Amino acid sequence: MSGTTIDALRDVPLFADLDGDELARVASVFKERRFADGETVIQQGSGAAAFFVIDSGAAQVIVDGDERRLMGPGEHFGEMALIDAGTRTATVVASGALVCSGVTFWDFQPLVEANGVIGWKLLRSLIEIYRSDREN
Amino acid sequence: MAHAELETTPAFEAPAPGSWELDPVHFPRLVTRYWTETHPAAFSRGVSEFTRYFGMLLDSLEMAYVDGFAYKTARPVSPEDAPARIARAEELIAGKLWRDQLREWDEQAKPASIAIDRELQAVDPEQLSDAELADYLRRCHAHHAEMIYQHMRFTASAVVPTGDFLAHVGDWTGLPAAQLLGLMRGASPVSAGASAELDELVAALAADAAARELLESDADPAEVLEKLRSLGGEAGTAMNAYLDLVGWRLLDGFDICEPCALELPDVLLRAIRIAAAGAETDDASIGDEVAEVRGKVPEEHRGEFDELLAEARLMYRLRDERGVFSDIWASGLMRRAVLGAGRRLAASGRVKQPDHLIDATVEEMCSMLAGADAPSADELEARTEYRTSHTAKEAPAHLGDPPMPPPDPSGLPPAAARVMRAMGVALGELFGSSEAEHEGDVLRGLAASRGVYEGPARRIAGPAEFGRIVQGDVLVTESTTEAFNILLPLLGAIVTDSGGLLSHSAIVAREYGIPGVVGTREATERIADGARLRVDGDAGEVTVLG
Amino acid sequence: MSEIVALLDAHDVALFGSKAAGLGQALRDGLPVPPGVALAGAVVEAVASGDGEAIGRVAESVRPLGGPLAVRSSAVDEDGAEASFAGQHLTLLNVPGADELPSALNEIWWSANSDAAITYRQRVGLFTRPSVGVVVQLLVDPETAGVMFTRNPVSGAEETVIEASWGLGEAVVAGRVIPDHFRVDRAGEVIERIVGRKSIRYRGLADGGTVEEQVSPELAEELCLGEAQLRELSRLAGRCEEIYGPARDIEWAIADGTLYLLQCRAVTTAGG
Repeated sequence: MSGTTIDALRDVPLFADLDGDELARVASVFKERRFADGETVIQQGSGAAAFFVIDSGAAQVIVDGDERRLMGPGEHFGEMALIDAGTRTATVVASGALVCSGVTFWDFQPLVEANGVIGWKLLRSLIEIYRSDREN
Repeated sequence: MAHAELETTPAFEAPAPGSWELDPVHFPRLVTRYWTETHPAAFSRGVSEFTRYFGMLLDSLEMAYVDGFAYKTARPVSPEDAPARIARAEELIAGKLWRDQLREWDEQAKPASIAIDRELQAVDPEQLSDAELADYLRRCHAHHAEMIYQHMRFTASAVVPTGDFLAHVGDWTGLPAAQLLGLMRGASPVSAGASAELDELVAALAADAAARELLESDADPAEVLEKLRSLGGEAGTAMNAYLDLVGWRLLDGFDICEPCALELPDVLLRAIRIAAAGAETDDASIGDEVAEVRGKVPEEHRGEFDELLAEARLMYRLRDERGVFSDIWASGLMRRAVLGAGRRLAASGRVKQPDHLIDATVEEMCSMLAGADAPSADELEARTEYRTSHTAKEAPAHLGDPPMPPPDPSGLPPAAARVMRAMGVALGELFGSSEAEHEGDVLRGLAASRGVYEGPARRIAGPAEFGRIVQGDVLVTESTTEAFNILLPLLGAIVTDSGGLLSHSAIVAREYGIPGVVGTREATERIADGARLRVDGDAGEVTVLG
Repeated sequence: MSEIVALLDAHDVALFGSKAAGLGQALRDGLPVPPGVALAGAVVEAVASGDGEAIGRVAESVRPLGGPLAVRSSAVDEDGAEASFAGQHLTLLNVPGADELPSALNEIWWSANSDAAITYRQRVGLFTRPSVGVVVQLLVDPETAGVMFTRNPVSGAEETVIEASWGLGEAVVAGRVIPDHFRVDRAGEVIERIVGRKSIRYRGLADGGTVEEQVSPELAEELCLGEAQLRELSRLAGRCEEIYGPARDIEWAIADGTLYLLQCRAVTTAGG
């Protein structure tokens, strides 16, 4: 995959402890996906297929109709999709032209199975999110 | 994407005492300030003339624009004026006085308007000095206002005879108005785009193979039209004559923000191609259709049927002519003038884009040409953004006092009642106005998927609003795409404005086994969010229960 | 190279998806399908991933078609059956040429792997990874286009129902207009004609993509199909039923006076 993606993945806590080769392996299963300004990337309440990292551009997070925050390059969303196809907990809309790298859980699963570090980090990241949701 | 904030959040307050109704049928989008300052007075003046001419108990209709949203209210005549009106209605019916209006239209109003339209059209805004251009804008404006008045003045004559025909024949035969309107076919060539100029163009093209080849070429439509215009011989002349007639008419709507025919060369070119190919004329069969309907009329009424049909067909072309030769052309000319001024101001950096000037008032346009600072380029841009990012669907259906039901014609003397009913029927069938709905709020569309379901309406404009759907809702929307599929498990029924039986919404409703009514045309305008609906997918009806 | 074949040679549903195999069969039966190229699911995935070699092979195969192109997804499922949900598939109209194809294939891959697609698959009990092939054809830029069912989908009557509008058939499929509605009986006689409100039209743009245009009020309410065209459509419907069986859902287009078949599949029934 592109050099941008590897750089973007480096900033993702989930992949923070991976070495160069491992990062490249992870990057190789991501695919670029482009969105036009205003396009819905994921929809709250819908089933989940892919996890996304922002390569360039910005995206607005909306929960229950309220705008929560704007995300930019290096940030990610939708990690629940890496576990199962549950439901999206927020809506994300492209704010300006948006380029993401995305991976479906079918493509991600083999990586987790081969690399325990990733699996462990994913678990911790999700618990983090769960805790901060409960506090809000 | 910048959000277009309203300069002041509209409180949606009634503009004046009375009961104001949103008019999304004529004004589905927001209007310009130019329209707000130009339309209301001319409109009311024209309406009060036709109500007087026809002996109606309506004094006038008034338009008001609340932050660009169009509202209308009716002003009835005062009781002391009623007897004179009632007498007039009798006089009108006995003397078929609408024919005098048609004569006036053909002999005076139409030719005079066309003459002024052509005179204004002959001026090239690019050749004018700033002061002259300001003057020209004022002239176009004055003419446009006068034409709006003229359009309204002839409205009753244009529609009441047709409504009268539909009302009587509907009662006698029980046939639906849509079918009866078919008997008007061929009575209004203008509606079908016909004109002497088009006939001449078609004839010239038939005789000129090179011109025909050029017409059918694949090149950019604007280029093709230009080349056709500059051809020598009859074809070129005829093309110019035709484009001079239709080129500066608005293609849709009334406001100066709508495009003119010449701005959409592809549409224009296709229309010419179709005319040149020779459309199938079914006029031969109309005699059979008339006979078929006449056969269903009880024998004692057949003489009257013939009379009513003759009057309706006689007057029918006035419906489109009074727009096309009056304000639709005048509005196009105003737009042309404003865009000319806009290009000049954009060249000097005074506005960001020529079409931002569309959102200025006439006085502002003139003072900007004279060098004034206000309104700024940013301000105009903000006005354009505001206007283009909202639609009538966002506004409340009523402001002010609660709406009163339409008065019952049966309490009036016969002539007055007849005129009033004819007007009501005409408005209902020709303009789809909710004023004519006497059966409670029932919308009709195509019966796309069987079954009957009752539940709350959820108006959804697009995926951004999906979160509002809860289990058991009836989806009410313009049309659906595969993005809507994720909602299906939640829905009890689907209702759309557009689409046919083979469209996405119809197919998914059937696949999912939920009732569906599509192609209602106006569900999103007529149904309020949360209203309780009964969706009958067998009959193709949607009833608002409360 | 058996993962990239001329549409005429697309047989294997498991490789190319049922849309490709169906259109290939239609071509082999002499039906008026625009010629094209079929790409197997694995090739589409490789191109979507940015694989240079796959991109090159696809470009080479598609270039002879010229442009502009219509690119349609052709989904593959375990048992080879096409997902029945209408509109679940992505069609990209007016891709300018072979060079713009990788980004189109990327979009198609993602539409098959989108949240909505996955949700639907799970609902109908498909828990496996989706695979999507692609059909690339020369784009037909029609005057009139639409959809035709060889059985009335609401009443079940044995008649052909045709819905038509101006320009690309997208307007009818996506329900953006109220199309003209026709019913033709098995003998080819027109039973019903109802004019719609065809107020917009989609047209292909020179550099790719389509534009939505306003249609003049007169044209919006003028029937877009004449007698001769209705007869031709009715004959096509008959041929499709002869070859494939009853209850066909057909997408068609008329360009420069020629009738094209763009899609022919089974009408999906309720509860699917």
